[in-house]
Amino acid sequence: MNGSPINNQPTIEQTAVLLIDIASALMSSGAHTMRIIQNVSRMAETFGYEMDLSVFQLSIMMTIVSKDDPGKLLTQIRKIKPLHLNFTIVSELSALSWDTYDKKLPFDEVTSNYHHILNQKRMNSWLVLLLVAIANASFCGLFKGDFIAMIFVFFATLAGFFVRQGMLKKHINHLVVFTTSAFVASLLAGMGYVLHIGHTPEIALASSVLFLIPGVPLINSILDILQGHILTGMARLVNATSLIVCIAIGLFTSMLILGLEKL
Amino acid sequence: MTNDMIRLLLLDGLMAAIAAIGFAVISNPPKNAILVSAILAALGHSLRFFLIKSGLDISLATFVAATFIGLLSILFARIIHCPAEVFSFPSLLPMIPGMFAYRTILSLIRFMQNSDTIKTQGFMLDFFHNGLTTLFILLALVVGVSLPLLLFPKLSFSVTRKY
Repeated sequence: MNGSPINNQPTIEQTAVLLIDIASALMSSGAHTMRIIQNVSRMAETFGYEMDLSVFQLSIMMTIVSKDDPGKLLTQIRKIKPLHLNFTIVSELSALSWDTYDKKLPFDEVTSNYHHILNQKRMNSWLVLLLVAIANASFCGLFKGDFIAMIFVFFATLAGFFVRQGMLKKHINHLVVFTTSAFVASLLAGMGYVLHIGHTPEIALASSVLFLIPGVPLINSILDILQGHILTGMARLVNATSLIVCIAIGLFTSMLILGLEKL
Repeated sequence: MTNDMIRLLLLDGLMAAIAAIGFAVISNPPKNAILVSAILAALGHSLRFFLIKSGLDISLATFVAATFIGLLSILFARIIHCPAEVFSFPSLLPMIPGMFAYRTILSLIRFMQNSDTIKTQGFMLDFFHNGLTTLFILLALVVGVSLPLLLFPKLSFSVTRKY
């Protein structure tokens, strides 16, 4: 019609579905709001549309308007899947959006690349479990915990993170998952107190639950607020804070059971 | 700077790097980003350690270290074509004020369980001291690392561009 080089131009419905899928994938992988808007509007521009996007905690709303024909527009709302951090997806979708823009990739190729990125395997969960346990043990070392405390934290984290992985796979409520795994981890780490082993049992107890701290959502929330996406930022902040409260409840419960609250 | 100090700095950096690797893999980053976040965490955390030892307040030292990480992360982002936050966020995690947060909750619990006025005043003091330190360190971390992102938005959004 207007001399477009691509023969099988996608319909506005197809474009809208792909763009909102990408936005929702970025959101549930842990990108901050500004990046989502930048990436998706860049792709929309390549396909010949102008895009407006608003992001909430549970859904994304998007309107695309054709640049050639302002009467041609479509609005969509899409649910966001629960947060499952995946920075490989964030990084590669970000690269895909630039590739689309710079190389004027055809729609079909973008779609197949998108599905390829989304279907990549995550890192082996046993390896992640081991690395997190080692990390939390050395975290305990950073807080001046002695070697025995680090060993206690290693095993406590191993158990706590195992519980977390298993429960998340069964799609149990996040708050319940965090409370339970904080409870398990601190119960094991508190054994140093009960058995009187080591000189710094309180550091072992405190750092045993720190692998659960939702660091990325916390940083994202402040970043969103600083960049003017205040509602989304507040939603993330409330979410992260309630997880931290759950960690505290789990820790407190095991302290009560072990009789450590009077220390 | 004495040998002992250098040894402590290296140990601090090493432990921060190990911690950063472990906390990074939870968010499944690209493989080369894991290495970068370990390097950034080691540099940032030992810088903070050094600043605290030279007498700086912990939240101010955290702010300086986080800004340092943020600036370096933009540099690395251009090298490996990967958004800066993918490796700058995990490298901040070893600086999360875990012990302060723990002591905040502990003093709150003790405050609730004690009825002795003099004791409870001490616990309230502990609560505010540790709670405010936690809050300010967290803010320093986030504002510090995102300063470069906010100052150079063009640069930080175009790092994954290859042409």
